[in-house]
Amino acid sequence: MHISDGVLSAPVWMAGYAAAAGIIAASIKKIKVDNMPKVAVMTSAFFVASLIRVPLGPTSVHLVLNGLVGIILGPAAFISIFVGLVLQAFLFQHGGITTIGINAIMMGTPALLAYKIFNLRNKFNFKRCEFIFGALAGGSGVFFGTGILALALVTTGSEFVGVAKYAVLAHLPMMIIEGIMTGFIASYLMKVKPEILGRR
Amino acid sequence: MHLPEIDKFAHLKSPLHSWDPRVKIISISILILSIVLLKDPRVAFLGLALAIILVFLSKIPFSFVFVHLRWVLFFVLALFVILSLTVPGNLLMRLSFLSISREGVKLSLLISLRAISAVLLIFPMIGTTRFNLSLKALQKIKIPDRLIELLMFTYRYIFVFLDEEKRIFMAANSRGWVRKTNLFTLKTMGNLVGMLLVRSFERTERIRDAMVSRGYSGRLKTLDNLTLCWNDFFKAALVIAGAIMLSLSGWMG
Repeated sequence: MHISDGVLSAPVWMAGYAAAAGIIAASIKKIKVDNMPKVAVMTSAFFVASLIRVPLGPTSVHLVLNGLVGIILGPAAFISIFVGLVLQAFLFQHGGITTIGINAIMMGTPALLAYKIFNLRNKFNFKRCEFIFGALAGGSGVFFGTGILALALVTTGSEFVGVAKYAVLAHLPMMIIEGIMTGFIASYLMKVKPEILGRR
Repeated sequence: MHLPEIDKFAHLKSPLHSWDPRVKIISISILILSIVLLKDPRVAFLGLALAIILVFLSKIPFSFVFVHLRWVLFFVLALFVILSLTVPGNLLMRLSFLSISREGVKLSLLISLRAISAVLLIFPMIGTTRFNLSLKALQKIKIPDRLIELLMFTYRYIFVFLDEEKRIFMAANSRGWVRKTNLFTLKTMGNLVGMLLVRSFERTERIRDAMVSRGYSGRLKTLDNLTLCWNDFFKAALVIAGAIMLSLSGWMG
């Protein structure tokens, strides 16, 4: 779910950087110093997620975990994902350097949304609450990310409409797997260490 | 699985290793920018050549670089296939019902060249300095402390996390668990990842407490001092001149 260097037109990736810088500036104060270990762990989890493979028929898909980062970190999720992408670009050569901004928008803004979705669970009270809302949050993390990806490709040029279609198709199974996984992770955390998920 | 040890060859001696990291990061970023903005595949070839020369000068073994190029090559290959089939234009070749267009091939060639050159340049930029020194350089360039701290901690935990992840999945496999496409696999993996997170949280909290009790205040402090000399600016001038030449020859067509 990364865009590499050299694909997007300059205005698109520059706009990505500008928007990412704006969101970072607005949310950097929200990371408390004591919160740092939590943010760093989630950032490295996000970094490593692309190595965790889930089997899907004859092939496998990898996790994104941007929804989970959103659920656990809330407003600090965007910075976490940005830093994760910086490290992925420089240590793994996964993604691109000029596209860090747009990639952060692509995965970070859905993470913020996932947090809002997961918080809706406070209004309900039934047995599998965490699973359902975790799955919704995880799935929408990939869903909206894919939407932004397609939008970025299409605004770059009409040549990329084909690529955008294939990208959306390829992300559909990923969205379902990601949703179910996030649901299970959220219900596990609720059982074992509920304070990670914040107030309820 | 290879560990993301980008600074594995930071101990070598080369013109790039002796270059001040602040100036190095800024000038190579300018070069990357100029390559990514190229519009002509022929000029992009020049950019790729320049990137290869810099990797060569840095003495980082090409075998190490190739392992890291995996993701990019995979991406580029997929793009080649999709773009050459979907972009409309003059017919280059027809394979039964598939038609390959000249414009599609040209566009994907340009994108591949830009992407590969940009990635290659990461090695002389970051791979020739120890990672903590690169962070120190970023601190001097006035990147916010909070971001630097996060980069530093995350970099440290990635290795811890990968280690722990390997152990947890190995333990599950040794008890006869096999990954299949079913809900049970997803549930097990969800629980394992959840456990991985809980363990890592507790571990990192202990690490941070230990650091704070030794006087850590949230700001990166190292004993290394960065000093600038004329040589650093000379190298910067060379690299930036290369970047300007590329952009100019791009405009001239």
